[in-house]
Amino acid sequence: MPKPIRRLIGLLGLLTIVSMVTFGAMNFLGDPLFNILGPVAADVDNPESLKVIEEAKAQYHLDKSLPERWARWAWDFVRGDFGVQFSSSGQPPVSDLIKERLPRTLELMAVAQIIAVSIAIPWSVLAASRANRRTDKISTITAFAFVSIPSFAMAVILFYFFSVQWDLLPDTYTATDPFWGISHDHRLIQLILPGFTLGLGSAAAYQRLLRTDLITTLQQDFILMAKSKGVSKRRVLYSHALRPSLFSMITLLAINIGFMIGGSLVVEQFFRIPGIGSAVVEATLREDFPVVLAIVMIVSAGFMVFNYIADYLYTLIDPRVRHEDTSKPRKITSMGM
Amino acid sequence: MLHETSEADNILELSDYRVGFRTERGLAKAVDGVSLSLQRGSTLAIVGESGSGKTVLNRGIMGLLGANIIEGGSAKFQGEELANTSRQKFWGTKMAMIFQDPMTSLNPVMKVGKQVSEPLRLHQGMSKKEARDRTVELFTLVGIPEPMKRFSEYPHQLSGGMRQRVMISIALAIEPDILIADEPTTSLDVTVQKYILDLLVDVQSKSNMSMIIITHDLGVARGRSDEIMVMYGGRIMEKAPSESVFVEMKHPYTEALLSSIPRLSDPKHTRLTPIEGFPPDIVDGPQGCKFAARCKYAQDICLTSTPEETIIDTHTYFCHFPVGTDAGAEAFKSNKDRGFTAAGLRIKSKREVV
Repeated sequence: MPKPIRRLIGLLGLLTIVSMVTFGAMNFLGDPLFNILGPVAADVDNPESLKVIEEAKAQYHLDKSLPERWARWAWDFVRGDFGVQFSSSGQPPVSDLIKERLPRTLELMAVAQIIAVSIAIPWSVLAASRANRRTDKISTITAFAFVSIPSFAMAVILFYFFSVQWDLLPDTYTATDPFWGISHDHRLIQLILPGFTLGLGSAAAYQRLLRTDLITTLQQDFILMAKSKGVSKRRVLYSHALRPSLFSMITLLAINIGFMIGGSLVVEQFFRIPGIGSAVVEATLREDFPVVLAIVMIVSAGFMVFNYIADYLYTLIDPRVRHEDTSKPRKITSMGM
Repeated sequence: MLHETSEADNILELSDYRVGFRTERGLAKAVDGVSLSLQRGSTLAIVGESGSGKTVLNRGIMGLLGANIIEGGSAKFQGEELANTSRQKFWGTKMAMIFQDPMTSLNPVMKVGKQVSEPLRLHQGMSKKEARDRTVELFTLVGIPEPMKRFSEYPHQLSGGMRQRVMISIALAIEPDILIADEPTTSLDVTVQKYILDLLVDVQSKSNMSMIIITHDLGVARGRSDEIMVMYGGRIMEKAPSESVFVEMKHPYTEALLSSIPRLSDPKHTRLTPIEGFPPDIVDGPQGCKFAARCKYAQDICLTSTPEETIIDTHTYFCHFPVGTDAGAEAFKSNKDRGFTAAGLRIKSKREVV
């Protein structure tokens, strides 16, 4: 079977399992009827209320068995109907909610990753070219500091200095502002502080991996060869050593993007960005099954898609992967998904 | 020295050149007092087993050893003392190097054409197109078939021999004054070795560059060099014009090296004679002659006193009991009669052989 089809089947299988597990887990959280009907849901002794409850149960299929409910949900889901929210109004439909919120999170993630990678690469090159010397040791300590500062603390620190003290960057996010532009009234600028909050930790993590791989690459004979050709030190680092050293970083990058889609809630809350992260928190607390399920599915699919992209990037970086030269050892195999 | 020549003719001039590595145990003297001079357009072969210091010597000259070393003595390149100058300025213009393994010495993620044209663009101010044309020309010169197609291929798509030809193209692109070939054929198939070596000698003779070939195989050096220098334990053992090393070798180590190589003229089932023992410790080395512990000629004096340089005509060697002299013959005979040398090495009788 061709590889893309094998992978598609893998993706579908994984999404099925994830949705089943989430569906089952959500069921233990509590009774969603309370959010749909309000206090009436608890008033089971009153025949009037009981009737309303029974009607609602039938309407939302809550009277059916768990597997049947899952099957109904899945059937709607594959046809693009994500259902209604479990709230008194049920509006807007879940698909509209996702359409509204997902782009904001993706924008934040893109800004954060661009910041992370553009910091990590020169930082790693600097550290690797001075491996085990003072610059490298200081940079290692800095990296561990960045990794270990929790994002809410990082958010407070950045917010305090860049927004409160120096008044350089906006701290409020306005979903209705245009994206492209360089004034405080553009979302691109409004995302810089949240982007750094998410990006600095990632940059530090990428730096740890890329530095190590660069040091390994710099000990290869072809680096000596490049030097003896009279290639400048800078050029040796950036055009000879960097590319073959990117594998581990890209692997982590792909995983990290997946995490960020679902895990940026602290930053979204702090900077008041109404994205997916905050939506999933709100929905979980409300026992809003359809919203949680939809987001979980998007995050899982996102993980897989970005891992495919990473696999594709490997082939761009290393022609040996592209030509499927199985006789030669290669640095890393795909993540198997 | 081959002939009495003026210093200007010598492209490389080493005198008592030393390279040491700082280690936890102390200074590892990888090159321990080497003197030589290389004339413009001539070829020197440096022969020795692993750990003899031949690679360190050459990387030391190139300045490719990193920061953890101590250099001593004098090394002059084109009359310029290398210790006082940044060797980087010679890289890619006056000095070039060919490495042992063309698989690991070519960047696996860069097209080979780009790797050859890189020095052309960086140092000879060529445009992308000029560099490309020159590269294709060089590929043709070194015998790479379909040079246009090969230009945009990656190293893993080429065979070992082709890769080494690419390496030679890089060296030729640089048009260096000195080319150092560090075991250029060791990792290649025997059938390809001869082609590559002959190609090297051919381009060297056409371009009037000087060349140093490093090898552990005396056979490689034979006929392809003007002078052969045999190294052991970081020191010169013997240095002589190429043919006289084979005809009238003076050092027991050279003799031992030669008899460890199989020859077609030998009768069938002739046992090769390995050199017993291991190279000496270069941090805390032995007194006297470095080779004494493994030498069949070794006498008491060899263990205590380092032999002086003996120069006969163009032949230089460092040995108390040289091969082919009365002193040497006597030393060997007395050791053979005893059954062991002054260093305690057992001498097997030839009759033990199958």
